[in-house]
Amino acid sequence: MHKAKLLRSFSFGAAALGALTMGATAAQAEYPERPVTMVIPYGPGGATDISGRTIAAPLGKAVPKPILMVNRTGAGGATGSVSVKNAKPDGYTMLFARVGSHSVNPAMKATLPYTLDDFRFVGVYEINPVACAVKADSDIKSMADLVAQVQANPGKVSYNSAGVGSLLHLAGAMVLREFGVENPMKDAIHIPLKGGGAAATAILAGTSTFICTNSSALASFVKNKQLRPLMVTTAEPVVGFDAPTAADLGKPNLHKLVGWTGIAGPKGLPDDVAAKWRDYMAQATADQGFLDKMTARGSVIRLMNPEESEAFILDQYTIFRKLVDDLGMRIKG
Amino acid sequence: MSVIDNLSAAWPLVANLESFLALFIGITVGVVAGAIPGMSATMAVALTLPFTFALQPITGILLLLGVYKGGIFGGSIPAILIKTPGTPASSATVLDGYPMAEKGQAGKALTMALYASCTADVMSNLALILFAGWLASFALSFGPPEFFTLILFSLTIIAGVSGKNLVLGLLSAALGLLLATVGLDLVYGTNRFNMNDPNLMGGLNFIAVLIGLFAIPEILAYIWNPQERKGSVRSLGGQHLSFKEYKRCFKSIVRGGFIGVILGSIPGIGAAPAAFLSYSEARRNSKNKENFGKGELEGVAASEAGNNGVCGATLIPLLALGVPGDVITAIIIGAFMIHGLQPGPMMFIANGDIIYALFLGLIISSILLMGVGSVAIRLFRYIADIPRPVLLPTVFVLCVYGVYAVNNNVFDIGVMFAMGALGYFMLRTGIPAAPFLIAFILGPLLEDNFRQAMLMSGGSGTILFRSPITWVFWTLTAITIATLVRKGMQRK
Repeated sequence: MHKAKLLRSFSFGAAALGALTMGATAAQAEYPERPVTMVIPYGPGGATDISGRTIAAPLGKAVPKPILMVNRTGAGGATGSVSVKNAKPDGYTMLFARVGSHSVNPAMKATLPYTLDDFRFVGVYEINPVACAVKADSDIKSMADLVAQVQANPGKVSYNSAGVGSLLHLAGAMVLREFGVENPMKDAIHIPLKGGGAAATAILAGTSTFICTNSSALASFVKNKQLRPLMVTTAEPVVGFDAPTAADLGKPNLHKLVGWTGIAGPKGLPDDVAAKWRDYMAQATADQGFLDKMTARGSVIRLMNPEESEAFILDQYTIFRKLVDDLGMRIKG
Repeated sequence: MSVIDNLSAAWPLVANLESFLALFIGITVGVVAGAIPGMSATMAVALTLPFTFALQPITGILLLLGVYKGGIFGGSIPAILIKTPGTPASSATVLDGYPMAEKGQAGKALTMALYASCTADVMSNLALILFAGWLASFALSFGPPEFFTLILFSLTIIAGVSGKNLVLGLLSAALGLLLATVGLDLVYGTNRFNMNDPNLMGGLNFIAVLIGLFAIPEILAYIWNPQERKGSVRSLGGQHLSFKEYKRCFKSIVRGGFIGVILGSIPGIGAAPAAFLSYSEARRNSKNKENFGKGELEGVAASEAGNNGVCGATLIPLLALGVPGDVITAIIIGAFMIHGLQPGPMMFIANGDIIYALFLGLIISSILLMGVGSVAIRLFRYIADIPRPVLLPTVFVLCVYGVYAVNNNVFDIGVMFAMGALGYFMLRTGIPAAPFLIAFILGPLLEDNFRQAMLMSGGSGTILFRSPITWVFWTLTAITIATLVRKGMQRK
């Protein structure tokens, strides 16, 4: 058993070596001529991982060569993102970019080892509405109540996030600010936890007052009447969330506060490769099984073309960056 | 619906070939994956997830649970045979399992690991079925202050695994705490000891540290001095575990299962601390205290009971509250949602039959684990017969491959070698490695929860005494330290 395993790893090594030399000699052949590695910069079981692995199935049918899904986790998505930034821009290393790694983190962290310019997006395919919620037995019944409480007792109301630089971190501050809290950094307390699951649980355990995160992360708690939704940031209501939309509340700026997932390559990705990826993604997102699975989880599937994707992300980044600068949230150390 | 009604509705869902097959395949996959160093149970479950999309909900979830349970047990096989824990959860098993293998009792250690795993597994399942609601509300009363006191108490384990010299143990633990601070600051998001390398931003990879600390020094030691160990004959030895031996360890197993259930039902702790806590409690209460760390059967039993006791119990917050307790259950929750099921209090009313079918499946899985595990031991035991000059290079290749596979990052291999060098130095100077590892696991939890508690209270320390739970752990910590001090005085 053991020897067989050893033998296998040897033959694997030999094959890899062969592929490497072949790749060097036949550089100009049609893309893709070998398997494509797709980096998920977050751990197994997270929103990005589930999204990436769900699209991998129809994508696998569209891409003529196998796709290798690789989780490269750490530092809020930075470790995996950097590895793709530094990869050869030949289309054989692609990244699942996410709102946290590619708009919140660049907006918040001065020390981030990459910027948006280091990547070429081939498409954003998933949008996640954001919802804010409190524990079901809380005396806060609406956004107005929440804001009133923050203003009545500055420094007493707290919100959870999945960590510094996560969407949840920025969302809590942005929502309060939109509703008229002048300095949410001082008047409300941010309690970072490790991961989105822990953040939602901490609301149930009473660690903090409210949470703003992807509606899919809260859906089951809302359905089970453990959490009470206060609002959703989209213009249209979200199924299962009996709460006003940002449009109802007259806060259209909050429509920009949504989660998303997309696929990107390193900066120098050739045009023909990018064009192929656009076709692959169009095929994959049209797959009925994929659509069913994603919408069941509360995602909105909408494929943006590369230009639209980059404009969308840049727009969100600009808004986030302005908020971060206004509130002095930028991390410089 | 009463329990009986639910059970009768659930039985047809489980009593079919597909469910049994799913459990069987799941456990087999889990044991094999767990046995490969670096291939953690988490990864195995994540890779199995896509296959469950096409299955019936109950079949798919049973498949995942099988992988989970099998994986946690499977990790003990390389921990015992080659001093390389297959999963982090089985690192406590190394402490006594590997010395037993050195003494030619690998078979006995493996069998004990299996029996302890299965016994704790049954306990864990029963706790889930009988006390899910109660334990879940208990778990929710754990906020950062309660966590902090629990982890503080758990750090007293260090005294239990330090061997003869407590000072060296504390030194080792301090080093572990220090290295655990590498990465990004939790509250401010600033760099800590990163040296501006993006690879260090995520901190040191746990598996790389683990394998580097345990497996690599063993290989280095052999290269340095092949003669030293030539005399020792490593064979499987008497494979059979007598009922008397099982009975002797039974108390430790039950205690370990109990610890596993409690820690498992609290979201966010995981199986590795449970195994260490169970181990140190077993040592503290054992008559053969001196023999722990040198190949004590009870040590293996306690660690494996501790980590398998967690398995069923992590489903308590999942089913009763809809809260995933760790990464694995977060993946399993995904499988529920794909099928339109939303775990939580409502599921007991809306889909009671599925919940009870899961319960039945879990009970069956304990029995299947016993069967698959016995076969696995019989197959893997040949590893014990391989001569060292062949075995160690193989282990070496597996270590490199396994560490790379965790994150597909060459940097982690470097971390493993650096830790290997450190581990070898520690081996030569007699500094125990276990306290390092415990501090490395618990350090970040201690820091995070302390700082979260301080954020909650606006910097006031009184929050650390806010509930009866905190008082219980403060008292336990004080008693443990007082006992240690008194013993130290007596020795003088």
